[in-house]
Amino acid sequence: MSSQKKRNFQIEAFKHRVVVDPKYAEKTWKILEHAIHEIYNHNASGLSFEELYRNAYNMVLHKFGEKLYSGLVSTMTLHLKEIAASVDASQGPLFLEELNRKWMEHNKALQMIRDILMYMDRTFIPSTHKTPVHELGLNLWRDNIIHSINIQTRLKDTLLEIVQKERGGEVINKGLMRNIVKMLMDLGPTVYQNDFEKPFLDVSATFYRGESQQFIECCDCGDYLKKAEKRLNEEIERVSHYLDAKSEVKITNVVEKEMIETQMTRLVHMENSGLVNMIVDDKYEDLSRMYNLFRRVPTGLMLIRDVMTSHIRETGKQLVTDPERLKDPVDFVQRLLDEKDKHDKIINLAFNNDKTFQNALNSSFEYFINLNPRSPEFISLFVDDKLRKGLKGVSEEDVEIVLDKVMMLFRYLQEKDVFEKYYKQHLAKRLLSGKSVSEDAERSLILKLKTECGYQFTSKLEGMFTDMKTSQDTMQGFYEAMGPALSDGPTLTVHVLTTGSWPTQSTTTCNLPPEILSVCDKFRTYYLGTHNGRRLTWQTNMGSADIKATFARGQKHELNVSTYQMCVLMLFNNADRLSYKEIEQAVEIPAMELKRCLQSLACAKGKNVLRKEPMSKDIGEDDEFYFNDKFSSKFYKVKIGTVVAQKESEPEKQETRQRVEEDRKPQIEAAIVRIMKARRVLDHNNIVAEVTKQLQSRFLPNPVVIKKRIESLIEREFLERDREDRKLYRYLA
Amino acid sequence: MKKEDTVKLISAEGFEFVIDKNAAMVSQTIRNMLTSPGDFAETEHQEVTFPEISTTILEKICQYFYWSLQYASGKETEFHIEPELTLELMMAANYLHT
Repeated sequence: MSSQKKRNFQIEAFKHRVVVDPKYAEKTWKILEHAIHEIYNHNASGLSFEELYRNAYNMVLHKFGEKLYSGLVSTMTLHLKEIAASVDASQGPLFLEELNRKWMEHNKALQMIRDILMYMDRTFIPSTHKTPVHELGLNLWRDNIIHSINIQTRLKDTLLEIVQKERGGEVINKGLMRNIVKMLMDLGPTVYQNDFEKPFLDVSATFYRGESQQFIECCDCGDYLKKAEKRLNEEIERVSHYLDAKSEVKITNVVEKEMIETQMTRLVHMENSGLVNMIVDDKYEDLSRMYNLFRRVPTGLMLIRDVMTSHIRETGKQLVTDPERLKDPVDFVQRLLDEKDKHDKIINLAFNNDKTFQNALNSSFEYFINLNPRSPEFISLFVDDKLRKGLKGVSEEDVEIVLDKVMMLFRYLQEKDVFEKYYKQHLAKRLLSGKSVSEDAERSLILKLKTECGYQFTSKLEGMFTDMKTSQDTMQGFYEAMGPALSDGPTLTVHVLTTGSWPTQSTTTCNLPPEILSVCDKFRTYYLGTHNGRRLTWQTNMGSADIKATFARGQKHELNVSTYQMCVLMLFNNADRLSYKEIEQAVEIPAMELKRCLQSLACAKGKNVLRKEPMSKDIGEDDEFYFNDKFSSKFYKVKIGTVVAQKESEPEKQETRQRVEEDRKPQIEAAIVRIMKARRVLDHNNIVAEVTKQLQSRFLPNPVVIKKRIESLIEREFLERDREDRKLYRYLA
Repeated sequence: MKKEDTVKLISAEGFEFVIDKNAAMVSQTIRNMLTSPGDFAETEHQEVTFPEISTTILEKICQYFYWSLQYASGKETEFHIEPELTLELMMAANYLHT
């Protein structure tokens, strides 16, 4: 209350009764003591709060606070002892209810007592550092009831028994449990922890240890996980229903440890139902459950990841080394893609898109794809197949998806330059035979390769496209210039290919038929007339021709053949029967190629425009060939395929390999020089490491090769060895 | 004013002051008297007798309750107290925990 200015100050006589009666304190206390008894006996309705408050107030004011306080303690203790006895006497299931009822009553009484003794709480207790009334009441309850010998263990056992009953599926009185547990929490965290939580956790651990043993013996992995998940959720629910929220972590830790951690290795490797089986059978739900449960324990995810990785590596290894699979490269790559899709889906659906799992998947793929040295070739063949026919009538987005997948596999390759080699070959074939389904798709893939590996990687590929384009223009110009002079000769289409951009092929000779030769010469004259100082050579091994042929009964067909085949067929315009030798002399095609070409003309069933004597699968030096005028076909246009293995044959493979190795040499040298230019002096191991790092986006250089390149550079005086330390190299400007 | 929203305060001389409950509850002691669990006589009858507080002082106290409700939020007004009442008023304030 704020007071006013002091004027006319006058102290009035003290109105409170001055204590004269020596028994005053005793008397007043008796009144209060009586009131406390009445309160505990639910008889408070007649009492005057004001009177009790005033008495307590006066006692404190007149220095009888100590008496009031000790009186309160002893009176309350007396009542609590009575309560303890009555709780103790309660029968079996009524025990908790009685305890709860008494606790409610005590709380209410305590509240009333505190209210009437509020003045003591406010002034006497803080100044004498005593326990405030409310806390005092709780402490006395704790000491006299909860910690009384009979009640303490009985309470603990009863609570644990109820929890156990609930675990067993019985319905329990959750409200009562909540009240009792709340009481323990109200009495202070230590009471809750010592009298309930600790024994609860111990009992739970024992229970779950036993249960997990039992489950693991009789359940498969999926069922076990379901049960463990159910138990875990039950415990979490229990906490939310009637335990302290802080207990959640503790009890879930117990379940995690007993049901998951101790059994997880066995679970993961469980026969017929473990992790590997789940992955194989695409059990997303089970996998997801396993992920979420194992995530709770420290090494759980690592375990899953390791097992998954070794599984992928194992199946991947089988896939890439299975000789059966190697027969069909397209199928081989498709299987790789399927495998990748499968695991991507698992990680996405079941493993929460976990980054570490994705990395594990990627490294596994990288590992096993590179186990097979032919992977780059097969991937390129896969693209080839897709771009030739696989993508026909597929929407642009789907094309992109396929290409992106291919790029993903490409990323795993260590020998990207080998891929480039093959890709170039396959691209060349596609472009020259006009077989590519979509130029957009081709360009899109090249763009992807460019973003992945840089300009260098794709410049030649792009050069090929440019050549195709300029050739078109050149042809247009040629026909415009020549005009009617060419009208009755064969139509010639020339692709002018820049040397270097295209896969180099050893130039093979071939005698073109005179009709063709004359047109070719015209073109040569025209081209060299417009482009000075260039050299043209004919790559007859890469060409194709459409020729019209008339068979018996006037049946006409248009035959789509290679240039070599065309040369051979043209010979039969003038002769009905030719021996192998005669043909060879006339066309001068290398024997290997000629045999192949004849094989496809004479031996392919249903497409044999030639007949051969003797009839056999293979071409011999002494064979004779006839024109097969009985040839017939449903179609007007007939494509005569060449017998070429789609895959490379063994010697070709060796050749490509060698070319790749050759191409790597200058790249390694360039990298060494770049590094040495910057570092000036460096020791051998560091050079090897740096070179490997620089080149790993294209291939993994072999240290032995690097060493050889260094030696070659020393010979050519780009580098020198340090005079003192032979391991050190110096750069010579 | 509804009956249940008011409370009757009775002075030593028997004067009755009927005031708003929430005004009376400015005093922590009166608040306890009216809200304590269990049925104290005060809660039941909604009236409190103060045998040691005179009518003058109780009147002042009631005035203060209303003033406090209105201005306790820090507004700069003064509550006028006659100097001769000061001591008794302070003692009552201590008693009422105001």
